[in-house]
Amino acid sequence: MTTTTLTIPRIFDRPRSASGIWSWIGTVDHKRIGTLYGITAFLWFLVGGIEALLIRTQLATADSTLIDPDTFNQLFTMHGTTMVFLVVMPLSASFFNWFVPLQIGARDVAFPRLNALSFWLFLFGGLLLNVGWFTGDSPSGGWFGYAPNSGITFNTGSGMTFWAIGLSVLGVASIAAGLNFVVTIFNMRAPGMTMFKLPVFTWMTLITSILLVLAIPVIGVALIQIGSDRLYGTNFYNSLGGGDPVLWQHMFWLFGHPEVYILILPAMGIVSEIIPTFSRKPLFGYPFVIFSGISIAFLGWFVWSHHMFTVGLGPAATSAFAISTMAIAIPTGVKILNWMATMVRGSIQINTPMLFAISFIAMFTIGGLSGVMHAAAPSDAQQQDTYFVVAHFHYVLFGGSLMGIFSGIYYWWPKMTGWMLNDKIGIVMWFFTLLGFNLQFAPLHWLGLDGMPRRIFTYSSDQGWESLNAIASVGGYIIALAILIFLFNIWYSRRNKVMAGNDPWNARTLEWSIPSPPPHFNFAEIPQVQYRDDFWYQKYPEQHEEGHVHAIAPSGAQDDDDMMFDPETGAAPSGGAEDGHHDDHGGHGIHLPDMSYYPIMLAAGITLGMGGLMAGNWVIVLGGVIGMWGLIGWSLEPVNDPAPDVEH
Amino acid sequence: MNSNLLPRFPLRRPLLVLIPAVAAFISACATGNPQDTFDTAGPVAEDQANLFKFIFWIAIVVFVIVEGGIIWITLRYRRRSDDEMPKQTHGNTKLELTWTFIPALIIIAIAIPTIRSIWDLAEPPSGEPVMTVEAVGHQWWFEFRYPEEEIVTANELRVPVGKNVIVKLQSQDVIHSFWVPKLFGKVDMIPTRNNELWFRADEAGEFFGQCAEFCGIAHALMRFRVIAQPEAEYDAWVAGMRRAPEPPAAASAEARGQTAFAANCSSCHSTDSYRPGAYERELVTQDGRWTGWLANIEGARIVSAPNLTNFGIRTTFAAGIRDLDRATLVEWIDDPGSIKPGTRMEAHAAVYQGGDGTANLTSAQVSDIADYLLSLVPGEAAPDDSANGSGDDSGGDPVELGQATFAANCTACHRTDSERLVGPGLAGVADRAGSRVSGLGVDEYIAQSIKEPNVYIVDGFPPGMSSFAHLSDAEINGLIAYLKTLN
Repeated sequence: MTTTTLTIPRIFDRPRSASGIWSWIGTVDHKRIGTLYGITAFLWFLVGGIEALLIRTQLATADSTLIDPDTFNQLFTMHGTTMVFLVVMPLSASFFNWFVPLQIGARDVAFPRLNALSFWLFLFGGLLLNVGWFTGDSPSGGWFGYAPNSGITFNTGSGMTFWAIGLSVLGVASIAAGLNFVVTIFNMRAPGMTMFKLPVFTWMTLITSILLVLAIPVIGVALIQIGSDRLYGTNFYNSLGGGDPVLWQHMFWLFGHPEVYILILPAMGIVSEIIPTFSRKPLFGYPFVIFSGISIAFLGWFVWSHHMFTVGLGPAATSAFAISTMAIAIPTGVKILNWMATMVRGSIQINTPMLFAISFIAMFTIGGLSGVMHAAAPSDAQQQDTYFVVAHFHYVLFGGSLMGIFSGIYYWWPKMTGWMLNDKIGIVMWFFTLLGFNLQFAPLHWLGLDGMPRRIFTYSSDQGWESLNAIASVGGYIIALAILIFLFNIWYSRRNKVMAGNDPWNARTLEWSIPSPPPHFNFAEIPQVQYRDDFWYQKYPEQHEEGHVHAIAPSGAQDDDDMMFDPETGAAPSGGAEDGHHDDHGGHGIHLPDMSYYPIMLAAGITLGMGGLMAGNWVIVLGGVIGMWGLIGWSLEPVNDPAPDVEH
Repeated sequence: MNSNLLPRFPLRRPLLVLIPAVAAFISACATGNPQDTFDTAGPVAEDQANLFKFIFWIAIVVFVIVEGGIIWITLRYRRRSDDEMPKQTHGNTKLELTWTFIPALIIIAIAIPTIRSIWDLAEPPSGEPVMTVEAVGHQWWFEFRYPEEEIVTANELRVPVGKNVIVKLQSQDVIHSFWVPKLFGKVDMIPTRNNELWFRADEAGEFFGQCAEFCGIAHALMRFRVIAQPEAEYDAWVAGMRRAPEPPAAASAEARGQTAFAANCSSCHSTDSYRPGAYERELVTQDGRWTGWLANIEGARIVSAPNLTNFGIRTTFAAGIRDLDRATLVEWIDDPGSIKPGTRMEAHAAVYQGGDGTANLTSAQVSDIADYLLSLVPGEAAPDDSANGSGDDSGGDPVELGQATFAANCTACHRTDSERLVGPGLAGVADRAGSRVSGLGVDEYIAQSIKEPNVYIVDGFPPGMSSFAHLSDAEINGLIAYLKTLN
């Protein structure tokens, strides 16, 4: 790699430390970034969970005065916003970061510094969203921010403005991450790994990433518009000035429904890895599962108005959206049946990740069934904006996404840390999660059918909803207990380490072929892939229908051009993944990009620039200076700086 | 790695899944609670519930097959020894095509009644008699208007049993949603849109309704009732709403309450929708209250507010969250925010400003106002007799008559000092009136402004005032005399 002659003066040296805080701030390693995503998102999960517990405590009894209505509105607004944008999406991103490169046999993502930028923007955007807890003025217009109630006339104060700009920052992070993984998956697969040999989790990551790239700009535009309605008195959605509040709903849900699949497809990918592993069978109907995922993502663009059946679109539009919504049940049903068929005639190991994965199928099915009910617009007119809907999407997002994510955490924990999470404690946690979850959310179906609207801070005893609400609240506390057990499990398992080895589960995909935790460079040699579930057939060559798998001779380090890429231009490994000609083995070592502090600078600059809209013009200027510095420094920074102490 | 746990789990697992499911299923029986969507009282809600039940039973079948299948498969194929190695089957195209088509068939079975129902419920059955009402969402209460009967009321929608009712839905501020679970599923009330729904109550009763779209701080407390009555009772209610209440006896608590109400409450609350022309005037006035509030939210002392005509026959108040009784009403008048946090009444009305948020009234005055409001029940007088207020306009002091007429007709929009409400403050009007329009003297200008208010508009005010030409000459002369005393 030639060093560029054009450099700008550095204030700090390029970070090089392998440990300590600076090793995290400057990291461009996908695994470290994955860990940062995971830890940050888990902390937000605790915040969102506490918000949920406060909501449940308030609603446990009729006419409760524990929490005042304005605080309650802030709590449910931030619970929804937090769980969607700061928990489920980044927890998925944590897995994308950790395991997509490992599953495709790559040494990093295509744009490592862009990856770091995504994380820092996610962190800072989340902080912007939560500024309100310190100013006493958190967003209170709902995570859906319906105009004109979210407008400055009816929602004074700074909360919803911080909401709009915070989400905009998060949107930049998501678009960048989405692009990064699309490019990574298309270009950086190991030789021989054709698209139909990709692990399903990587496939679902690809589909999710494409959705991110296409859907986030929609909400990005809408957020800029609703933000300027609040900040500058524009009239995009402000009905008082002639704006159209229904247009906001179209924009929000045109993003919002693909977003639902952004939240669930990664979990579908996770369980599609775990169920085959613990059934000791390949995924049943791999192409059907892949195409189902693609059709879910595609159809997901044509259903947004089912969130708006009560808006008055007229019977023709309502009929069209009812049918398109029902159609999504078909690929979803196919997936469920394929997971079940994978288990049939398998050898099912019952342990924590598998129990969570099975629970994912079971609970997600319930959410899917109630989803079909919502597609029936006339009966949905009774259910819309009631607790039935709350039950439905918690069965999908908690029973689905979070069960899948916990399954993934238990499954991949040994790969990430090198040691196992205790399985007995894990099963206890699973038990309380499933119990608490169902106690919490099953009664909400009946509360909704009994006419309890969403987003109410209290209800009267004469409405008859007290006992089911009390049960639901108890369920909420049991979920909290399960999370405490999870934290205890981490603490306990860390003290009583059981080392994992490379492949503790006898798993099927490439990430299990390397040490746990993986070395910085992941693969000492880039693998040559012959089959789907390649690692499995390396271990059991006799099981492949096509006969023997030829053990791959150690090939030494790949030629630099084959496995490295240029983060400046995003150039793919020359030759591409499919060509299969990787015989020329170069002699020199593994090259990985050096650390960089420009991503965090650029992220800080963007965040300050956006936050300055509220904090004052000098903050915008400061953000601009830092951001431009970061951007210019970034663009002139070589992949590797010559230094006397190159680690590798 | 956990083989010691295996024997116990086959029994636990199905229980874990089944217990919540069964418990939930048992509780599925109709509750009879006031917002139960299964306990329907009209064709719209019934159709919606039937569609739900149809899909529900299909879903139950799928639920049992899938959930039962998951449990059975997990138990049947659980690992019994660590060296089991199942056959590596990759799929079966025929099987997978089959279970692609079966859900498709189920979906078609669900889609057909859904689409039929969407179109069936779009409009009331043609050929049947229908009445139209208008519902307007406000933060945080519902206004109901009967354009044909010229009635304006709030939070209680009275309808005759067995008649199809079209409700035209509007909102003055943010998006609300109009919903009475036992009668009909919700439709949103959206500013900029003219939505409508229809329903029919097939049985008499009081049906709970509630705003279903998050609309701000008091969203949870924005409720209402639909009171379905047999036709004759409903007609009697309509006739009653067209009649004035009996005037309170002199020096009674009600009379004192009337005075206190006129001074402190009547800027926002109309009580006279029985008068001829009052319906149109209330629409204009309500709009004026709203635009005035919007123009100066911080300083506004007037807000849109429920029309309290014949308030005493209501069964509930405060947007359906309290039964109407004297003690609660007193509590409400004294400190509405304690019952309905965020209410605009306490935030804006002058009578609540400057202190701790409670009314700047003596407890006797609060009590008198409550007595007065509860006394507002339809009197015996025929509507025409009460058209001109007390009717006693012969003799007497014209200024005194003018003051009473002003209190009854004008205070909703005009103050007697120089401060603006909906319309201009009228202190010193006599000095200004003479010079406003050349050729019109003071008396002529004021009379003209009362009878044809929109001919000459004061700069900066919306042309919102409606004509008061129905007042008698004596009343108009009294008003002129009274207004000339204001400085």
